Formats: sequence, C-alpha cells, structure tokens
Amino acid sequence: MSTTAAIDRATVQETKTRLSALLVEDNLADSELVLRELQRGGFEVSSEVVQTAADFRRKLQTTTPDVILADYNLGSWRGMEALEILRTEGRDIPLILVSGAVGDVTAVECIKQGATDYVLKDALARLPVSIRRALREKQTREERRQAELELARKVEELARSNRDLEQFAYVASHDLQEPLRMVAAYTQLLKERYADGLDENANKYIHYALEGALRMQTLVQDLLTFSRVGRNRQRTHLASDAVVQEALQNLQAALQESGAVVHYDNLPVVTGDRTQLVQLFQNLIGNAIKFHGEKAPVITVSAKKLAAEWAFSVSDNGIGIAAEHLEAVFVIFQRLHTRAEYPGNGVGLAICKKIVEQHGGRIWVESKAGEGASFKFTLPACPADGEGNHTDERRA
Amino acid sequence: MKDAPDILLVDDNPADVGLTREVLAASTHHSNIHNVPDGEEAIAFLRRRGKYTEAIRPDLVVLDLNMPRKGGQAVLAEVKTDPGLRTIPIVVFTTSHAEKDITHSYELGANCYISKPGNLGDFFSAVQSIEEFWFGFTSLPH
Repeated sequence: MSTTAAIDRATVQETKTRLSALLVEDNLADSELVLRELQRGGFEVSSEVVQTAADFRRKLQTTTPDVILADYNLGSWRGMEALEILRTEGRDIPLILVSGAVGDVTAVECIKQGATDYVLKDALARLPVSIRRALREKQTREERRQAELELARKVEELARSNRDLEQFAYVASHDLQEPLRMVAAYTQLLKERYADGLDENANKYIHYALEGALRMQTLVQDLLTFSRVGRNRQRTHLASDAVVQEALQNLQAALQESGAVVHYDNLPVVTGDRTQLVQLFQNLIGNAIKFHGEKAPVITVSAKKLAAEWAFSVSDNGIGIAAEHLEAVFVIFQRLHTRAEYPGNGVGLAICKKIVEQHGGRIWVESKAGEGASFKFTLPACPADGEGNHTDERRA
Repeated sequence: MKDAPDILLVDDNPADVGLTREVLAASTHHSNIHNVPDGEEAIAFLRRRGKYTEAIRPDLVVLDLNMPRKGGQAVLAEVKTDPGLRTIPIVVFTTSHAEKDITHSYELGANCYISKPGNLGDFFSAVQSIEEFWFGFTSLPH
C-alpha cells in the first residue's frame, strides 16, 4: 500500500500536469513569460490568449479552461472586469490576476472581488504553486457542490416518501376499511338473523369469519396509528413525572384489575411531544401489567443521566423474554404468544420504538425468561437544565 | 310537517344502503329512503333535473364522501352555496376517519359528520341516532 503510494507520487512528479489556461493579456511578451514559467513549474499547458472583454466573454461561452490568468492592466480594460464577466456568465473557474507592482490594497481588493490569487510579474515562480492550490480548491468546491446536490436529492426523496406514507395512511383509513366493514357487518347480520336455522358447523364457520374480520379491523386501525406516529409533533419541555401520571390514568382499569403497583419518583424534565411520550409510557407500563407472572405486577420507572441524555427504565417482575426474542419484540406485528394467552396485535412496542427514534433516542430491552423485563430507552436531556444552573450560579 | 320524512341517501355502496334501509325500516319514523349512487345524481335529484323532475325535496341528505364521478365534498360545496337548497341539513356518513375529510366537510357547511362504525351494532345505533336526532328532536325548515 505505502509502496504504491510512493510510486504514484514519483509518477506525478515526473509526468507533467495537463493544464488548459486562458490568458487575458495584451502583451505577447508577457504571455510568453507566463507560459514558460508554467512549463518550468511542471505543467503541460494548452493555452489561448484573449485581449478584449468581448473576446473573453465569447471564449467563456464556448470553452472551459482550468484556470484564467488575467493581467491587471489591459490598456482599454482591467482584469477586475474579467472577474465581473466571469460572475455574470455564472462560471466557476479560478481566476488569478497577474500584474506588475500594485499596492497591497489593490491586491486585497482583487481577492475580495473574487480573484483566487494575485501574482506579481516579477515573482512569477509563485504562479505554479498558486495554480495548484486554486485547482485543489476548485475540486473541493465541486465535491461540496456534489454533496449538497446529493443531500438535496435525498431530502426531496424523503419528503416524497413521507407524502406516499400519508397517502397510504389515507388509503388504509378508507379504502381498506370499507370492504372490511361490509364483511364484518354482514357476517354479524347473518349470525344475528339466521343462527337458529343453521347447524353447529355453520355457526362455527360464521364465528371464525366474523372474528377474522373484526381482528383485521383492529390490525388496520393499529397500522394507521403506527403510520401516524411522528406527524404533527410539538416539542415542549415536559416533566416526565406528569407524563407517567397521565399514562397511569389511561391504564386505570388494567391497574385495578391486576392489582399492579407502580413506583416512580423524581423523574427528570425532558424535551418531547406530550401525546407521544404518554403513549410511550402507557405502552411500556401496559405491557408490564399484561405480561405479569403469578405475582401481582410490581413496576418501577426510573431515569439515569448519561452525558447529554436521560436513560429511562421501565422494569417489571413479569414473565420476561427469552434472549433470542429480545430484538423481535420491537418489530411490528411480531408476537411471542398466541392471542388466547395474551391478546394484542404486536404493534405497541413497534410504536414505542418509532416514538423514541423520532425523539432522537434508542430503545432496547434487558430480560431473561421468567425473571422480569427492563425496557430501557433514552431521550435527549432538556437543555434548560444547564441554563437553569447557570442562572442560579449568577444569582449566587 | 309531512307525516313521513324523506331522506336522500347518497351512497354508491349497495351493502351500506342495505344496512341503512334495514335500520330505518324497523323505526317508528317510517322515513322514505331515496337512494342515488353518486354526487351527480344527487345534484340532479335536488334540482329536479333529468329523470328526477318529479323528485320530492328531501328533509335530510345523508351523504357519503368517496363516490365515483362527483364526490360528497363537491355535492356539499354545491348545495351549501345554493340559496334554494342550503337549508336542507346534510349529514356526512362515510368510512373515512381522516382529519382533513372531517375539517373540510365542516368548512363546506356539513351539518354533522359521522364515521361509519365497523361494528354492526354500532352501525345500527348510528343510523338510529341520525333519524332520532333529525326527526325526533330537531325543528327543521319547511
């Protein structure tokens, strides 16, 4: 590897760099001097010379030289005007002013106006160095422009895919549900009106058909909920104590029925969307209640400060998750149990993952089968924490 | 007011029309149901044009949104800007739960918006409520 690099460098030193230069110069002797200097500096130059502003503009419209070398004083016009023409033609070509002695102020002014460099005629040996640097800078600019174009393309692509998703959500909310509703309603009607006249098997089939249609309805609803996560979000500073409290209120029935105890204390202030974070805690605590073992559920919500984020934990004493399933639980419609054991569609944790990721955090679970589970996720710490401290310090 | 109210049911789905008729047939209001399958025919019915020259002016329009040719929102826009028709109450009754459909329907002057419930029992209650509210409690213009 290093040998190859060394050879490459040697090759570059020996072979000349090709360079197309456009000289803006009214003095032929000076042009000769410049070209000789470039050859001496390791360039294999192909050059053209223009003298007037009109010629210069015409040349720019038909060719793309690597570099423009313009005399500062050109009898009827000035190299600075060449800069102006370059700009109005919208060309990004390095322009180096070459001239007899002028003051430092003028040199600075030229650079300000957009000249790449300023080289004095009695120090022409500096010209090759100056050109090499100009070419490197031009390439960097080009690469950045390409990267920016690529980024803009990606952003547009993302926006389009978001629009598609929204369209999909709408299609799901209407076009999918309409026929589904028909199946469910008429199967139900069949069951209600004709159950007495049918035999046991027929009633069983109707029951299965109805159950399938009703489950499909909840699946479509869940998919919709999932696809809507992240739209219309509003970021505010939230006391996560209050967020957990709201989640618990929504879970009141399940809490009472299971006799669950939930511990949480001194949770931090975070930045996020209230509705979504309530949903996040509600899904996690709801799961902790649902997947309880023989004992009544005991659930602990806590938070630990890592560098610029808070790591939350929702831990339970439930049935736990076997090591090989720890990843799968976050995949939409993935379920580890039959519906008879635990009802549900397998959307809750997928929604949690989406919410956490939309907030710039990560989510994972630590668990062993039979030993409870700890769902952990991170949320960005509220920058106001730091600001608050500064204010206090100043007051003190 | 006439003895039996007239309802114009604008819906292209025969299954939903069937369910709605089931409910209304069993009710005490004995509503007359007139069904048209799309927005164009709904407008023709209301303006007594084409084959509807003898059509009766309905007391209530129950309007689906997604229909071929002319959709429900176009019907809403047309009826609610027509001084001769705008007093007829319009209930939007559709599968869509979409926020933009709900908002836009009210903007266009819908008198209420009901999403068709997926469950048969809830569907029946919804249709019963529509009839009970508009013909049991509400005073309608003559």
